[in-house]
Amino acid sequence: MAGPETDAQFHFTGIRKYFNSYTLTGRMNCVLATRGGIALLLYFKLGSKKTPAVKAT
Amino acid sequence: MNENLFASFAAPSMMGLPIVVLIVMFPSILFPTPSRLINNRLISIQQWLIQLTSKQLLAIHNQKGRTWALMLMSLILFIGSTNLLGLLPHSFTPTTQLSMNLGMAIPLWAGTVITGFRYKTKASLAHFLPQGTPLPLIPMLVVIETISLFIQPMALAVRLTANITAGHLLIHLIGGATLALINISATTAFITFIILILLTILEFAVALIQAYVFTLLVSLYLHDNT
Repeated sequence: MAGPETDAQFHFTGIRKYFNSYTLTGRMNCVLATRGGIALLLYFKLGSKKTPAVKAT
Repeated sequence: MNENLFASFAAPSMMGLPIVVLIVMFPSILFPTPSRLINNRLISIQQWLIQLTSKQLLAIHNQKGRTWALMLMSLILFIGSTNLLGLLPHSFTPTTQLSMNLGMAIPLWAGTVITGFRYKTKASLAHFLPQGTPLPLIPMLVVIETISLFIQPMALAVRLTANITAGHLLIHLIGGATLALINISATTAFITFIILILLTILEFAVALIQAYVFTLLVSLYLHDNT
């Protein structure tokens, strides 16, 4: 299982430092970003369905 | 053979009163509490079996995981004894009820997941993305891993229910076929009877194996989260 000693092996720079599929932090951030994106998508999709009267005007 | 093939899976009642709670509690009286340092044969054999099983199940766990030892051993003893008692003729088997198995699977699975999120939040979240996943596949794999997580308790419950129910149904069907064939062809009835014997032996094995598989999977989910 990945641990702190495994994370130290990888030397990413820039955005890859926080979003990658190798380090624990990178994997966690990717998971949170994916779920956050899906949550936002559902929020805006369901939000636009709820207000049909506003759309008609 | 019952008029209705599924009559044995109906909630049991005696003189109009439901006795399912009594049936669920019954296996516990088959495991007496040890009251002495050196106990009688029955308790000694049970202790030996429990020690053998617990050593094998808990070998992979760290100190945190071993706090679940009592829970896991109670689980395997309960499911194993309930399944075996269900093989007695005309008995009711609580583990054929999906409600019962979901009632066991969901809290245990949720307990392991919540334990993981509480004590190892980063590792629990990172677990949803396998290490080394190519960049374009990341969103899809996160979704797939999330779905597979939520399917775990369903699979646990349905696996146990389906295995035990199917076994009991097969015994009913083949037993009924044996009886029906006796007047038609004794040789065919004998062959069917041999198949029934083999199936009953298989069901004994399945009863114990399913208890072990259920407990082992809960143990593995716990190991992933501790």
